[in-house]
Amino acid sequence: MSLLLAQGLRKSFGETRAVNGVDFRVEPEELISLVGSNGAGKTTLVNLLSGLLRPDAGQIAFDGADITALSVGARIRAGIARSFQLVNLFDQLNVLDNVRLAIFSRDGVTRQPLRLAERDTRARNEAMEILGEFGLESKWDTPAAGLAQGERKLLDVAVAYALRPKLILLDEPTSGVGTREKGVIMEAIASVVRERFLAAVIVEHDMDVVFTYSDRIVMMHQGAVLAEGTPDQIRADERVSAVLLGKG
Amino acid sequence: MDIFLAQLLNALLYAAVLFLIAGGLSLIFGVMRIVNLAHGSLYALGAYVMAWGLGRLAGESGSEPVYLIALLPVAAVAVGATGAVVEPILLRPLYARAEEYQLLLTFGLLLILEDAMRYIWGPTPLTASPLWAAFGTLHLMGATYPRYNVVVILLGVLTAVLLWAFVFKTRFGVMLRATSQNRRMAAALGINVGGVYVQAFALGCLMAGLAGAVIVPIQGAVLGMGVDALVLAFVVVVIGGLGSLDGALVGALIVGVVRTVAIQYFPELELAVLYLIAAVVLITRPAGLLGRA
Repeated sequence: MSLLLAQGLRKSFGETRAVNGVDFRVEPEELISLVGSNGAGKTTLVNLLSGLLRPDAGQIAFDGADITALSVGARIRAGIARSFQLVNLFDQLNVLDNVRLAIFSRDGVTRQPLRLAERDTRARNEAMEILGEFGLESKWDTPAAGLAQGERKLLDVAVAYALRPKLILLDEPTSGVGTREKGVIMEAIASVVRERFLAAVIVEHDMDVVFTYSDRIVMMHQGAVLAEGTPDQIRADERVSAVLLGKG
Repeated sequence: MDIFLAQLLNALLYAAVLFLIAGGLSLIFGVMRIVNLAHGSLYALGAYVMAWGLGRLAGESGSEPVYLIALLPVAAVAVGATGAVVEPILLRPLYARAEEYQLLLTFGLLLILEDAMRYIWGPTPLTASPLWAAFGTLHLMGATYPRYNVVVILLGVLTAVLLWAFVFKTRFGVMLRATSQNRRMAAALGINVGGVYVQAFALGCLMAGLAGAVIVPIQGAVLGMGVDALVLAFVVVVIGGLGSLDGALVGALIVGVVRTVAIQYFPELELAVLYLIAAVVLITRPAGLLGRA
């Protein structure tokens, strides 16, 4: 059974059909790259899957249950977490608190609200362990605003991961960083996804990254799925190269 | 020396009450970006509940310090509960609208609460000075000073410490600060933003109610006290920085000291001096001394 199965998704903004009849599935423990030119509908699709947008038509099932009508919070509890294209951190909180916040949020606002955050050793240990997995443990005390761009990207993924999802949606986790840092970020993401048996959908423009790390690649074009397959299949697909070379 | 000490304590007393009011105002603005004009009336509501409760408990004759301990939480929680009703019913539908609507609504609420208090408790001020007298006096370095006033100062200090710990040290505080920084992101993380808002608003109102309740034995409950307090609370947050708790504390101390000095040496200029300081801060540091730009 697929972990996530979306069928016939449609979403329009005025006259623009941002997502126009998309079927999309994610298998357990699968790392999928979502590629396509700007305006292809990738971010809209991610927003529909994470619950930030409601589809005009279509259904989304996750783990066997219909989640089409669920809120963002309910989808997080069901096991879907995401990061954003523009890094969305709490800049005045330190690195540890950014991650800890996700853990508290996962537990619910009302659970022991007055407990001292420092005394919550379970949350602290878990947050430090997560920071360790992303190579950020030495920065735990730095305000998020004081991190380098690559570290901010990593922290953003770490926050989503701290929600303990089964499926993690990452919108351009390597945008705006140098080539060397891209490798560091993708290595960290891939190792967490593999070791923790997560499924991941990654929106990515860098085709070298896409071909290196993906199990499957889904190419979107003008709101629809143009092609999908393994990296080798996609490499050989002429429609894909036509779009990538700007002939689409 | 004894005059100096008494005046210093007066300044601290005034600062403690102002911090309770302005701290709540600032907390609400910091988290929800709402300027709560009804805050003054909520302070007055705390005063009326306290004065009414004291009247019921003690009657006309005498009073016991223990009544303070019994009634302070009642008055504060009553005002906090009012806030917990007001936020989801009246304010929440307006978050998507321009700020003018929130100002209009909270100002309307100020007027309604004011009239409601007039209707319930009548136009005559309620006093509770026997409770103030029941605390007796304190002899400090040759000076005599009302013990009740010292209790209020200590209560202000205690509240500041508890509030600081709540906001900066607790699990809820982490979520509160995150929500105040980026509401959308907090919601995307699955934080119950509505729950955070109603609790922050209720807490801010509770502080206003507590301020009103502790001031009753000193100056009673009077119609119009809410508007006076609101104006001074705004002077405090303009100086300290709206939305900053440290700012509310610093602003309250500055206003407390300046007002005490002014009353001693040039009483007719008391308010003018405060407005002048607020104006200078607005011109030189528009975000306030400790506010975020």
